[in-house]
Amino acid sequence: METIIPEYEIIGNPKLPTGSEPEANKSMPNNNLLEPSTRSTNNRYSAPAPANKAQSFQPTIQPAYQPPPNYKIQGPIMKNEAPARIIPIAALNPYQGRWAIKARVTAKGDLRRYNNARGDGKVFSFDLLDSDGGEIRVTCFNAVVDRFYNVIEVGKVYLISKGSLKPAQKNFNHLKNEWEIFLESNSTVELCPDEDGSIPRQQFSFRPITEIESAENNSLLDVIGIVISVNPSVPILRKNGMETQRRILNLKDASGKSVELTLWGDFCNKEGQKLQEMVDSGLFPVLAVKAGKVNDFNGKSVGTISSTQLFIDPDCPEAQGLRAWFESGGRNTASISISKELMPGGSKNEIRKTLTQIKDEGLGRSDKPDWVTAKATVVFIKTDNFCYTACPLMVGDRQCNKKVTQSGNKRWLCDRCNQEFEECDYRYLLQVQIEDHTGLTWVTAFQEAGEEILGCSAKEMYLLKYELQDDTRFGEIIRSRLFHQYLFRLKIKEELYGDEQRVKITVVKVDKVNYSAESRYLLDMVTKNFPNRKQF
Amino acid sequence: MDTSSPAAFVNGGLLRMHVGRKVRTVIQVTRSDAGSVMGKSTDGCQLVVRGSPPAPLTSYVEVIGVAENENSIRAELWTNFGDSFDASNYDQLCQLANGELKHLFL
Repeated sequence: METIIPEYEIIGNPKLPTGSEPEANKSMPNNNLLEPSTRSTNNRYSAPAPANKAQSFQPTIQPAYQPPPNYKIQGPIMKNEAPARIIPIAALNPYQGRWAIKARVTAKGDLRRYNNARGDGKVFSFDLLDSDGGEIRVTCFNAVVDRFYNVIEVGKVYLISKGSLKPAQKNFNHLKNEWEIFLESNSTVELCPDEDGSIPRQQFSFRPITEIESAENNSLLDVIGIVISVNPSVPILRKNGMETQRRILNLKDASGKSVELTLWGDFCNKEGQKLQEMVDSGLFPVLAVKAGKVNDFNGKSVGTISSTQLFIDPDCPEAQGLRAWFESGGRNTASISISKELMPGGSKNEIRKTLTQIKDEGLGRSDKPDWVTAKATVVFIKTDNFCYTACPLMVGDRQCNKKVTQSGNKRWLCDRCNQEFEECDYRYLLQVQIEDHTGLTWVTAFQEAGEEILGCSAKEMYLLKYELQDDTRFGEIIRSRLFHQYLFRLKIKEELYGDEQRVKITVVKVDKVNYSAESRYLLDMVTKNFPNRKQF
Repeated sequence: MDTSSPAAFVNGGLLRMHVGRKVRTVIQVTRSDAGSVMGKSTDGCQLVVRGSPPAPLTSYVEVIGVAENENSIRAELWTNFGDSFDASNYDQLCQLANGELKHLFL
């Protein structure tokens, strides 16, 4: 430690007792009597007679981690070194002045190294929870990492002071606090060895699975449920070329819904493996997820991120409530998965549109897709690339269906399932042109819709065209399916193709027109706009 | 058959408005004899249709002919409409065709 300010002036009128007591602590301010500095005009204090020149006052060097010094009113006022009062985390802000918090570490992040324009660096963060339920993230960089990385342990309580407060980075920091603490070279972190029962171990705010359905994509949330299925771990190639593990689980709760939970990386081998063993031996453990990320690729599902925490059979009231619900009937109630793409609205609230209305009304341009019904006729079916080779393996209770590539001779490889097999499935990916009295448009039809439109399976058509090479018969079938009228349930969404926005229309369901119902619909349309008329 | 004027869509109650003129209607066959068919109109009236029905006759049949009086038609054209038919839709059609939307039909 070095002295930073060798000399400085006295401010104000410190009252000094004459005579002084010997100080045991050598770090105490020394007991020289003072002379006022040349700037002060106050002559209340007498300098010691023999001194001719102003004494320079040696500043105290305060080492960190020492017990608070004994303060006497002697020596200059340097900085107020009294231990800061412990305040609730919720009261922390950059304008606070001195503060100290006493909190339990609820999560400790990995040590991460980075390289930017200023060179190499390292960083780690940990989360704190105090007795009032306040939470805040603490981050350390470079040299500060060395000081504290090994000191911080999850579950222990620390007294922390002298960090700087900056706005929290909401992209990474999901805690309910607008600030984040950054520890510096003068920060203090003291382990509190006495167990403080007033500080909880973890703070959750669980959302019922049914609420996840309406949660925003990429938002973080806590959820708790009974694990009803665990799938094996599969290696996945990530976009950056690195391989990681992935496991899919299903959780069910008392809201009557179930959700898919995707575990990534270490979670697969640790908690994932444990859960697999428990489920395989007939148990249905409770799993609490803290900070899972919502994904809206297929319905809504939850995935782990680096700051996610998993707790198997946690000892909290929600877990107990869930277990009680499960044992007294919840086990047998069927639950609807929110992780399958559901069509909103049944036949009761179908919105009927004509094909030009789709363009004129700008359907598909908002955040969510538009779902409409249109009565139209198939006028053209594209025969190039009408189907793709699909993975037939099951992932959970769904077929994988990812496009597979040929590997070697006569074998197929699926990247997602990381398996090879002899026989692949064939699934429709049909581009169809449909027309009504207002106009026409291209739509894409997948498997079920494709089978309804063509009246046979994709596999049959594939074999006919590519193996038997019977173009005549193939052409006959296609022609025979043209000019049929259907009720198309369409999903309309604008998507980015390269650098232009294009409206993509997918056929979700194809129904033959029921003439009786359709007539009623038309009669209704005709009569409802009559002025002053009684409805029939 | 005289095709110069269109046949008016009628049910039992509307038949009287077109006596002596060409009409068309669908009836649910209740009795069938040689030379005439008895049936229920889409609004529940009993009608008699004279002429030679096709054989076999399905439950529902459309007849086009001349209205003799308020409950009988001399049919010239018979068409089997099968065994299931939405009578209420047809009835509504008849009412519209003789009411608000008459100008579209006659």
